Amino acid sequence: MTLANLSQSDARLPTNPGKKRRLIGGRGNYFLNRIQGETGENISACYQCERCTNACPVSYYMDIKPHQVMRHIQLGWRKELMESSTIWICLSCEMCTTYCPNEVGVAETINHLRNMAAHSVIKPREKHLALFHQTFLEQLQRFGRVNEFWLMNAFNLKPNVLRDKIKSGLFVQELMDGLTLWSKGRLQMLPRRSKAMKEIKEVYRMNRGDII
Amino acid sequence: MKLSFYPGCSLEGMANDYARSIISVFERLGIELVEIEDWTCCGSTAAHSLSKMMAMALPARNLAAAEKLGLDIVTPCAQCFHRLRHSQEMIEKGLFDIPWQVKGGTEVHEMTRFLAKPEMLERLGECVKKPLNGLKVVCYYGCKMVRAPRLTDFSDYENPQTLDHLAAAVGANVIDWSFKSTCCGASIGIGRKDIQASLTRRIFQKAIQAGAEAIVVSCPLCQINLDLIQKEIGGPAAPVFYFTELLRLAFGGDTPRKRFKTHITDPVPLLSEKGLM
Repeated sequence: MTLANLSQSDARLPTNPGKKRRLIGGRGNYFLNRIQGETGENISACYQCERCTNACPVSYYMDIKPHQVMRHIQLGWRKELMESSTIWICLSCEMCTTYCPNEVGVAETINHLRNMAAHSVIKPREKHLALFHQTFLEQLQRFGRVNEFWLMNAFNLKPNVLRDKIKSGLFVQELMDGLTLWSKGRLQMLPRRSKAMKEIKEVYRMNRGDII
Repeated sequence: MKLSFYPGCSLEGMANDYARSIISVFERLGIELVEIEDWTCCGSTAAHSLSKMMAMALPARNLAAAEKLGLDIVTPCAQCFHRLRHSQEMIEKGLFDIPWQVKGGTEVHEMTRFLAKPEMLERLGECVKKPLNGLKVVCYYGCKMVRAPRLTDFSDYENPQTLDHLAAAVGANVIDWSFKSTCCGASIGIGRKDIQASLTRRIFQKAIQAGAEAIVVSCPLCQINLDLIQKEIGGPAAPVFYFTELLRLAFGGDTPRKRFKTHITDPVPLLSEKGLM
């Protein structure tokens, strides 16, 4: 097999027939500039050495691998990134950031994309993961602290979550785990409320962007 | 010596045993812990995933409260430590506005690294009454505690040593292994159980292969993940200890059985076999 054949048959390479670099704005790299400006990371420095992907413990489960995320940004493929499962599956364990030879903050960049996706109309690819984050913040707003027992219950009561879990058989497993934890005295049934609720409310107000 | 203590949400719920052992250990070491008044959640993964502003502002309130006390912060939870440090960095750079006065100058200590300082290790050695001879352990650090090094200041992020030093100081036989700081999946298990199970399973199996009889951790979520996976895998089990539990055990005194009742893999048979209980 010649070298040319090898690279053609390599399934890991992204195949994007008919896709070109998106030219938006003056020099065509509007999206790249935007992400670089907002995160403060030098994404242009990425030369696709794949060290981030090789270090990543969950790259197997991602549709766009971490090094490809960097390339997508350079090419301005925003929609593909927003629709990917990568941005939700990333654990923010920062293996990629630690080992990047060019000191690109890969985890921080993916986190920024996740922030962007949360504020876009595109439905998250990993619905449960996104919904869990939302439930967490709702519980935090309620008590100022987060109680695991109440968090899990609130998450299960979100639309369609329980149905999906029962269908996949995960619910029984979760129930058994919950019972084990309860019998070991590790579940705090009554949530404790922080007395600093005024400050929490202030943070949420800032986040909503309300003036008063 | 006085420090302000930021426990974090897990230590009120799932990891209440961790909280108890920390208080007991610090009492024995003669360090006073003052719990930050009305502390609030640091926001954890959810806050930084959905809103960078909240990830910065939520821990800042606790920084402000600690500053009011005028004491350095010590936190046992890896994620809380990471978020507090991140918030501090952002405030120093002046990237966000917060409604509270944070002047800076409050040090955020990670609990294992604080206790693994040479002078603290010396003090710890004096307290040991019942060395844990013959107990073969591996130390598991997790991700947030050591990475990213530019935030956490861990210089040995590839092979961290703090827990190893602590376990060795109380006489345990520490085994070197390569999965010290691999991520266990953390809270992804709630949305995608398969991913978390595969990551945690690999870590646990590597620990057993390394010849460990017990795993020492310092993160509440790592403990629960490693403890829950064992039933599923079957085969040899290994109790997962918080490092403070081992310190407390080595400090001697009465060790009632019910102290370990929160563990899913019961450590009592192993400890009695080694003559430690």
